[in-house]
Amino acid sequence: MQHKSRMRIIEYAITIWVIITLNFLLPRLIPGDPFLVLSSQEAEDEEIILSEEQRQYLFEYYGLDQPIHKQYFVYMGELLRGNLGFSLYYKQPVSEIIISRLPWTVFMVISAVVLSTLIGTIIGCISAWHREKWVDKSLFLFMIFFSEIPSFLIGLILLFVFAAGLGLFPLAGAVTHFADFQSGWSRIWDVIHHAILPVTALTISHLGGTYLLGRNSMTTVLEKDYLRTAWAKGLSQSRIIFRHALKNALLPIVTRVFISLGSLVGGAILVENVFSYPGLGTLMRQSVRVHDYPVIQGIFLVVTILVLLANFLADLVYKKLDPRVSS
Amino acid sequence: MSADKPLLDIRELSVTYTSSNPAVTAVSNLSLQIRKGESLGIIGESGCGKSTLALSIMRLLKDVRTEGEILFSGVNLMDLTEQQLRKYRWEKIAIVFQNSLEVLNPVLTIAEQLEEPIWAHEKLTAKESNQRIIKVLNMVGLDPSWKNAYPHQLSGGMRQRVLLAMALVCEPELLIVDEPTTALDAASKNEIYHLLRDLQKRIGFAMILISHDVAFISRLTSQVMTMYCGQVVEYGRTSDVLKNPMHCYTRGLLNASAQFFRYKDLWGIGGKPPEEMRIYEGCPFAPRCCQSSDNCRKSRPELRYVALERQVACHKGGIETFLKAEGIKKSFQVKNRVIQAVKRADIEIRSGEVVALVGESGSGKSTLAHTLVGILSPDEGSVYFRGKKVENHWASRMMEGMQIIFQDPFSATSPRMKVLDVVKEPLDIMKWGSPEERNEAACRALEAVRLPVNPEFLERYCYSLSGGQRQRVAIARALVTNPKLVIADEITSMLDPSNQANILRELKGLQNRFGFAMLYITHELHLARKVADKVYVMHEGEIVEKGDASEVFEKPKHLYTRQLFSEAFYEESKG
Repeated sequence: MQHKSRMRIIEYAITIWVIITLNFLLPRLIPGDPFLVLSSQEAEDEEIILSEEQRQYLFEYYGLDQPIHKQYFVYMGELLRGNLGFSLYYKQPVSEIIISRLPWTVFMVISAVVLSTLIGTIIGCISAWHREKWVDKSLFLFMIFFSEIPSFLIGLILLFVFAAGLGLFPLAGAVTHFADFQSGWSRIWDVIHHAILPVTALTISHLGGTYLLGRNSMTTVLEKDYLRTAWAKGLSQSRIIFRHALKNALLPIVTRVFISLGSLVGGAILVENVFSYPGLGTLMRQSVRVHDYPVIQGIFLVVTILVLLANFLADLVYKKLDPRVSS
Repeated sequence: MSADKPLLDIRELSVTYTSSNPAVTAVSNLSLQIRKGESLGIIGESGCGKSTLALSIMRLLKDVRTEGEILFSGVNLMDLTEQQLRKYRWEKIAIVFQNSLEVLNPVLTIAEQLEEPIWAHEKLTAKESNQRIIKVLNMVGLDPSWKNAYPHQLSGGMRQRVLLAMALVCEPELLIVDEPTTALDAASKNEIYHLLRDLQKRIGFAMILISHDVAFISRLTSQVMTMYCGQVVEYGRTSDVLKNPMHCYTRGLLNASAQFFRYKDLWGIGGKPPEEMRIYEGCPFAPRCCQSSDNCRKSRPELRYVALERQVACHKGGIETFLKAEGIKKSFQVKNRVIQAVKRADIEIRSGEVVALVGESGSGKSTLAHTLVGILSPDEGSVYFRGKKVENHWASRMMEGMQIIFQDPFSATSPRMKVLDVVKEPLDIMKWGSPEERNEAACRALEAVRLPVNPEFLERYCYSLSGGQRQRVAIARALVTNPKLVIADEITSMLDPSNQANILRELKGLQNRFGFAMLYITHELHLARKVADKVYVMHEGEIVEKGDASEVFEKPKHLYTRQLFSEAFYEESKG
């Protein structure tokens, strides 16, 4: 076992190294030039076209005139010191920008994962329990319908109806700016109030998948021999459902939760933009528009490392849940 | 029968799976009774409804339509709600499920899975229930330290013990054991046998043991039930049924069990059970049965008593007796001397059986054979074929009658006749069908014995054939009438060993395929031992010993038989 977990760590290290290297190489392989456009606040409004001399200067300044392997070593060295570079557009260290934005995205994604998993699994299990009956059939249709709508569209609909139309929720942002909060609680409430719509949008878009998985997983488990054993033993229905069926049905769901984190980040980027939520998604969109490579690279790196971390957690949790894995 | 009420009394139970289309009836009209402490074995091929029966006793099947009554201590389980059934499940009726990887929950420890029925049915403290599971684990011979293991960490044999321990944890009154020995090696199998036997003695539960391992059933049960297509086809005391099965299906199952026969070749039951989809009007076993006739396909036979404590579901009342000879005596007058060739012989041949008649040359075997088919008429005694007295050769002059294959193929087939004419001669004699039909039947018979049917071969004269070929022609000639009984008189004695082996295997194969009974007369005991179900030993015109082949060959009783065998099996007795 010792040996196995050590192997695992080495695997993760290699993966991270490959990702960093790709992250370094990819922008340099993309045609185009970071210094063709140096924009101000709105890229479309004013485009600053640099002279050849200015470009030359910037190339030297950022070390882009160095041979590629030297650039690579410098990049790696900087990374090890936690330096993700300096934003061309925001004129701020990339790590600082990301750190200020990251919690919002993490908060949103985790809330959506927890909610969609909980709700999806519960509805999925209900569906499996009543398999082939009308409850199952109507739930199935309903969930499939919703899971086919892209997250940003759900976001837009929610925004129009509940924020713009009914005025129940704020239109944009993650907190009320310049507000003077009476207490910590009211501050927390403010954050939640802002998060409800984006999190709901993300949850709904993700719900179909977890529902289907929950339903399939539960259906499979319900037909297993050990479930028949449990019934034969005259156990109570609640014990059979929760202890015997659900514990087994959860195994694939857990794996899926962590693996889906990556795709959820993708969804989050779209949803954040709809709600102008100040997370990595909004940051990414802006950075792409202004070709702010260091920021884009930084976001990529952080997101991939987060996904890897999620996988690592999945392994740990799975081991706890399924005794067959640990031995 | 004892006066006390049966513990389990199943009355006319039918179980139909409604989820499949069309619905499949897995158990039909089945009744059985078990008293306290009794044990009942259920045998049958896979898919005969054994497991469905087990599960329906516990009412564990979903998507089924169940009819009939399942009375447990007088309470009809069919009337109970799911909630009320919980009190019966495991506390009164427990089941040892068929061992599989997923029969135990993979994510729960053994201890939890053993303990939870206790929590569900009894009010014990944590300490008491822990003591209980340690007790049952010790009882089944598994070290209690295994209780903290997960199912995947156990071997197949250990898992079987856990299943057994789990079933016993609430001390049930009825234990259903489903295929406890599949996938176990001989040693584990033996241990499970000892465990079940000892535990039943100690705890006194009644037991239903489902298995296709007939040997296992024979050691553990007092009653046995053969199931086929959801029906009981035979029911009786285990020792009687296994020694003398009275339904062709039960006999087929026994013949397929290697444990019972040390020497005999194994033969499974030919054919397949009817497609589940099809609803059979007649006896479901008829298509595979060696004695079925038209009326077998018209209606389902009911389970009827055919002997004391023996019920059989068969229109013919069980395995039919094809040939019965009583008190046969035959003597010859040679000049002034009277030679008593057959002094007194009784013989009985049942359908689908191979009966070997053994004895040294000159013991009267052939005379007896010739008397049986009517070539010689007996001085005393009579021969019956399917219950009718044999006179004037009627039984050998009909289709589906009896036929003899003679000892010497050279004299049995006229050298001046063509192959085709020899084979179809019996049909010509009885004027069966049109000439074309006779030719076709002859060709089929020749194909059955693996002879060519091209015109050149059919037109050959018998003198040009080899010994092996002539013997095959002689067999084809007998088979052309589709006989129910074949008397094979020393048919292999003139052949070399390879031809001998081929002919014998083919004949036995044909017998298995067409289901005829065979009287195999030989002085070659090694060959007899390979094919015989029953053995008659003849000595100086008298049958001195008869019985089941396995018994007679294993433990000959008569002095002459012992002497005969010790000479024949000299090599073995030396070792």
